[in-house]
Amino acid sequence: MPNVRGKPRCCASLLRCHRAALGALSSALLLACLFCASLYAHPAGAPQAPTGTSGVSATQVLGLEGVKPNVKGTLTAQSSGLDFTASGAHGTVPIASIQDIFTGQESRQVGGTAFGIVKMGVPYGGGRVISLFSHEKVDTLTIEYLDANGGLHGVVFTVPLGQAEALKGQLVTLGAHASIPVASQPQTQDSGGKQ
Amino acid sequence: MKPKRKLFSAVLAGIAAPALLLCAVNLAFISAGFAEEKMQTTAWAIQVEPVQAEEGQLPPDFSMATYENLITQLVKTDKFQQVFRKGDRQAEGVPNLLVLHMTLLKFDRGSQTKRAVTTVAGATKVKVNLKVATRDGNTVVEKDVQGTVRFFGENMKATYDLAKSIAGTLRDTSLPAPSTGVGQ
Repeated sequence: MPNVRGKPRCCASLLRCHRAALGALSSALLLACLFCASLYAHPAGAPQAPTGTSGVSATQVLGLEGVKPNVKGTLTAQSSGLDFTASGAHGTVPIASIQDIFTGQESRQVGGTAFGIVKMGVPYGGGRVISLFSHEKVDTLTIEYLDANGGLHGVVFTVPLGQAEALKGQLVTLGAHASIPVASQPQTQDSGGKQ
Repeated sequence: MKPKRKLFSAVLAGIAAPALLLCAVNLAFISAGFAEEKMQTTAWAIQVEPVQAEEGQLPPDFSMATYENLITQLVKTDKFQQVFRKGDRQAEGVPNLLVLHMTLLKFDRGSQTKRAVTTVAGATKVKVNLKVATRDGNTVVEKDVQGTVRFFGENMKATYDLAKSIAGTLRDTSLPAPSTGVGQ
């Protein structure tokens, strides 16, 4: 008889234990994700100090000959042209071939696909809460240039906030053509307000 | 046992031989079909023009991303002999050249964060009117095509989706056979 009575009590306590453990685990996971998100995210509206002729960390989104899309590397404005160097990849846009330079802003989620999957795994909609904090603003640098045959190319880079305008200034100083002057670059492309 | 084994191998050979023959015939038909399709699809070359939009309607990064993605996707289709960029001098001497024009109809930038938080809101949409014409202005293809990011991915992914849709549209469209003098 004690065994029959004791069984449900034991099961209930086990269930309580399991629920408590699950809750604690979920909270820990949520906190860990929030911590990671805060590490990744840059504070909005706090542009980094533009560097001089030294390289700027950038991501080549697409368009540069000989470099795969979404490759991270270093972007440098030199007298020969805009130079992008990544591990195992290198591309240059000659100054004389540049037809136009545009800058803009973009807001994106940090952490890539892996972090996205982790966020999806967070219970009780915690992933959505994390998404609210795990975004960053970046500058986009778009360059239109011509190849040797006169064919139009476009290359898009993302650089840390505040760096695109500085790079554009450097390129214009070196002789590149830009239809919109550096100083009066409008921020109409800024999607920050929508993000 | 021995006669049984012989019978078994004879039956096996009797089944396997026709099956192999059937496979070979099928393969021959399939490869002939591919060759025929390849011959049909390589008659035209195409030159891609960037998206035409009113000033401020389409950000330059989206415009260039659409242009570059489209060139990549068109090359992948193997539908055209050559894919030229705007202004490419090599295209001037090419017979049977089609020119691809895109006019922006709608652009909604959306938000990756909104998509991640709400799932249903914040979609990025780019809609263009696609027009493929010969040099002398005969329209071969005209269609409205849209690229969208609804759930996952950065806003720029809409340009990839648009390029893929345009390339798919052109791949599935049967182009007229180029005649002498057409498009010259």
